[in-house]
Amino acid sequence: MLSIVQEEKISLLSDTVLYPEAAAFLRRLIYEQHSSPLPTAQIMGLLNIAHTSNYGQLRDYVIHQRDRNWPDSRRSAKVFYTELEKLLTQMQTKRLIEDFRLVTSGQNSQQAKQEMDELMAALALEFIQHLVAENMLLAEAQRNRR
Amino acid sequence: MSTYQEDTNYQLKRIREISNQVEIFYNEAVVLGDHAAHAFGGRSEHRSQMTGLETIANSTFKTSDVFDYVKKQTARHREWQQTYPDGGAPNDRFGERLLKQLQEDLAKKRDGIANRLSVGDKTDEDRLERRHIHLLLMREFIRKMVVQYEYASSSSNRRREG
Repeated sequence: MLSIVQEEKISLLSDTVLYPEAAAFLRRLIYEQHSSPLPTAQIMGLLNIAHTSNYGQLRDYVIHQRDRNWPDSRRSAKVFYTELEKLLTQMQTKRLIEDFRLVTSGQNSQQAKQEMDELMAALALEFIQHLVAENMLLAEAQRNRR
Repeated sequence: MSTYQEDTNYQLKRIREISNQVEIFYNEAVVLGDHAAHAFGGRSEHRSQMTGLETIANSTFKTSDVFDYVKKQTARHREWQQTYPDGGAPNDRFGERLLKQLQEDLAKKRDGIANRLSVGDKTDEDRLERRHIHLLLMREFIRKMVVQYEYASSSSNRRREG
């Protein structure tokens, strides 16, 4: 279980790091890689998984979605999940320890793994919540332009 | 408890700084309140969206909760997408205009206050304090905007009824 200090730090990271990064992530996909916002059902499905699953299940879901045989008309979903998987992997293997400094030192390997999963689940949920809001806004803006 | 929370003198200075900023942005809050009244009218089902925004701002500890709420409301509801010809920015939609105000303009005011009060930005304690200042500014802005919204929409309702 995460400590109050870890939860407070995650909440601060959510505001100062994850919120702007989530907006930049989607804007890069849409404006630079010419992708489209995800359909509402897709993005809400991802949010639901992030709310109800542990990190391992969330990661499996993202990889499964990435590896699905998407038709050309749904290429944006493939791009989205490919980039999201890369981002989560980098967060887990590098930023969690080096940038975010959330990990408790002096734990045995089982405790460390469990803590890492809990931290990643919390960070991923924050990130995905911001993705949902930005995705909705960008999808509406696209509809409005048509 | 953080150093900032324990320092009564600092807290009094912060209150004064926030009050000064409220005086400065009051007119902007009024214009956005008028924009909201134009977009939402005084209908009760729409009024709850304004009070919902106020509730979120007053209850959360995260600035991004408020930004996400504004984004989602803007995407979902036609009223949040309405422009306002009389409000000085005829092409700007209500939700996007409010988001810019909260996210960018008040962030600049937060940084100004933090600099004047010598709040750094290197430690988590400093960042938490900066966030708290931002939240206090947002709460005040939204409060003033919603008051103006209520006033402007009740005035227009009275005119319609009269």
